[in-house]
Amino acid sequence: MSIDRRTFLKHLGAAGAAATLPFSLVKVAWGMGSKPAEHESFTFAYISDSHLTHIKGSRFTSNFDRGLRKAVMEVNLLDPPPDFVIYGGDLAQLGKREELDHGLELLSGLRPPLKWVIGEHDFYLDMGDYWQNKIIPLYYSFDHKGVHFVVLNSILTYENWIGQWPTPMERMLNMARLDNPQGSPFMVGEAQLRWLEKDLAKYNDSIPIVVLSHSPLYKIFKPWNFWTDDAEKVQKLLRRFSRVTVLHGHVHQVLYNQIDNITFYAMMATSWPWPYPVSYVQKPNQVPQLTVFMNRADPFHSRDGTGWDILDMDSGAITNHYQLWMNENRTVTFDFKLKHPVDLKYQDPDKRIPPQLHY
Amino acid sequence: MKHRIIVFLALALSTSLALGDEFTQEDLKRWRAEFNKVMEKGEKLFHSPLGSNHVSCDQCHPNGANTHPETYPKFQKQLGKVATLREMINWCLKNPLEGEPLTLDSDEMIALEAYITWERRGVPLAPGKH
Amino acid sequence: MKIRCFITLISIAVPLAADEVKLPDSQDLLGLPPVPVPADNPLTLEKARLGRKLFEDKRFSADGTISCAHCHKPELAFQDGLPVSEGIGDQKGTRNAPTVINAAYFITQFWDGRRKTLEVQSKDPFVNPIEHGLKDHKPIVDIVRGNRDYQQRFRQAFGLEPSQITIDHVAQAIASFERTVVAGDSHFDRYQFGGDKNALSASAIRGLAIFHGKGRCASCHVIEGSTALFTDNRFHNLGVGFDRIEARLAEIIAAFRKAKQANRDIDKTILTQAEISELGRFAVTGELEDIGRFKTPTLRNIALTAPYMHDGSLKTLEEVVDFYDRGGFDNPMLDSGIRPLHLTAEEKADLVSFLKSLTSQRFTTIGVQP
Repeated sequence: MSIDRRTFLKHLGAAGAAATLPFSLVKVAWGMGSKPAEHESFTFAYISDSHLTHIKGSRFTSNFDRGLRKAVMEVNLLDPPPDFVIYGGDLAQLGKREELDHGLELLSGLRPPLKWVIGEHDFYLDMGDYWQNKIIPLYYSFDHKGVHFVVLNSILTYENWIGQWPTPMERMLNMARLDNPQGSPFMVGEAQLRWLEKDLAKYNDSIPIVVLSHSPLYKIFKPWNFWTDDAEKVQKLLRRFSRVTVLHGHVHQVLYNQIDNITFYAMMATSWPWPYPVSYVQKPNQVPQLTVFMNRADPFHSRDGTGWDILDMDSGAITNHYQLWMNENRTVTFDFKLKHPVDLKYQDPDKRIPPQLHY
Repeated sequence: MKHRIIVFLALALSTSLALGDEFTQEDLKRWRAEFNKVMEKGEKLFHSPLGSNHVSCDQCHPNGANTHPETYPKFQKQLGKVATLREMINWCLKNPLEGEPLTLDSDEMIALEAYITWERRGVPLAPGKH
Repeated sequence: MKIRCFITLISIAVPLAADEVKLPDSQDLLGLPPVPVPADNPLTLEKARLGRKLFEDKRFSADGTISCAHCHKPELAFQDGLPVSEGIGDQKGTRNAPTVINAAYFITQFWDGRRKTLEVQSKDPFVNPIEHGLKDHKPIVDIVRGNRDYQQRFRQAFGLEPSQITIDHVAQAIASFERTVVAGDSHFDRYQFGGDKNALSASAIRGLAIFHGKGRCASCHVIEGSTALFTDNRFHNLGVGFDRIEARLAEIIAAFRKAKQANRDIDKTILTQAEISELGRFAVTGELEDIGRFKTPTLRNIALTAPYMHDGSLKTLEEVVDFYDRGGFDNPMLDSGIRPLHLTAEEKADLVSFLKSLTSQRFTTIGVQP
């Protein structure tokens, strides 16, 4: 159940009022399930979608190198430093070893510990072989200060699609092209669903859960694979918990939503921005109405529309400080009264500015 | 004799008027196919790295999204003047794609314009809109 | 014949007398939008003339030697021709004095935009220890309240009795004067907006095309269809001076954050501490991406305002063009609009010709000849 327009408009006034209150004064109201377990507040950073592109020899597309370098430098200058950094996937553009190694080298300068989520651009050249042997398993979980983190490989797809390509590079190129009419929808797949169910079984409903995946674990726009085919199955497994947040990459834009007990936040890309699906009129879209769009980018400035995220975890919910390069930063936080995320400045439609409306 | 010439002339004129504007379903089909051929060529170009840095148009503009062809001519901030879609295509070729511009009436330029406008079909004209 | 011309040049190069302050006319403003004037400080000739007198008053300093005009010399296009300015006791600051000409069009003042208006900006140098060196504004207020000529001017300009005059009125008068120090009407403006196709040399015309195209200048140094401010009023990192702080960046930022927590005045910190000064806009906003960013200056009258950049490190326009051609000084925070340009020698020369064509007719006879 997503927020429908009437309900959203009904809460406009409340949203406006709530948005101006300091976070700590917003009353915590629990309606769904039990109150989340107490846990220590902490902060972590998220860098994603760098799409490092190998040209020849030791030459890479400098635009994308620069984005990642800038993110690494800025994360290292955070004071106090974040507990850890997540890399959200699509480190490489075509999954080449040169690209992954180049990315590992650029990220090696990060001071806080690094955790990884794989993206389709990392996976489809060798079906994740280099990634799981050199970096990390394709899916896993960990606990941090009383919060349970689950990392999923959500960019798998149907076996017969995978099998049809004559060469690995052709398979990779066809997955790389976002608007590919011969694309194939992402999925988590049965094996991971079974693993997930077992993994979650150890935790009671009050433990805050954070799911990290590359593709969004809900359905936004199938033509561009802003989509996970078995999203509902994943959401079903998460339904019993009182506070769940999904953090994903892939969409290269500010995007946030609430489906029942699950808050969804898209993480920024360091490489380039994607347009919102509303700007492709030939196909219908399910872009969440909740989202206040990021400013449309000026293509002269390659870093316009790119960035990274600082995430505060508190009372089982996440505040996302979007670090938007070349733009005013945006803060989207979970409103405990309204039970969905709100942008602290722009959620009220009257507060929208032209760059958010010109898609 | 004069009378016959006049009648003949009248007939000739009326037949040529009838032929001048006529096109058939076959013509329409054939001409549409011509357009599709060029549009598909444009789609290929749009999805190829046309510059020097391995970047292609569709990376920022999947399905031509966010190109807004219906708003041209308009004041184009990056060009500092009122400009057309084709001039902006050239700007993209030179800047984000670090490549060479096309001549404004080249086959490639026309093909790109055909693809970009095709993906935006049905959207009303809005010249001057930013 | 030569001597007569020389004498003529000298007489024009003398600073305008106080009563030569004038409101800019439409010819002066060719290529510029109307001068922005705040609602709470409407522009009048009386205020501007009073502002001129205040601007040049050396008594507004700890040792009676420094006026605004010390670093913003009217006869040097309202700057001082030095890499960084030298204030009271010849102390060197950290920043190159921006020209007052067309400063009225900026949305923020100073290289790091730390002040929003001309009014507020004008009050800072008086109390900066290495500029005018005063401890507070009281000596200035005492002087203007007690001096017969100032009393009359403040009465005329603001309708104030001496005891009502505050430093904010002083600031309003200075800002009003600065709002008359505006000019477009360069050779470029006459060519572009005045319809005079002979106003630019062939080289400058080619340079204009490069400015828009291969040079990638116009996105930050804005030229539009009917006006050209030559600034986007935004902040960018070109890498100028970044090598002075890059190796110890974390340490410098930590020191800055500490100073900020101890509530030290930013204005004083920036000009007295070279390393913190290089942090640029970051020192004002605290946003990491603002590290090393400085405000895009206008390029109008650029031929008159050498040396260039926030630290005056580039001496000539040729050096500036070379710097951009190389892609600035590479660093992780480098502005994403900056990249190597691969200009030919002729293209560089054409660009410089174009830049030299941006000198306003009003100021052509002062300072360095283009």
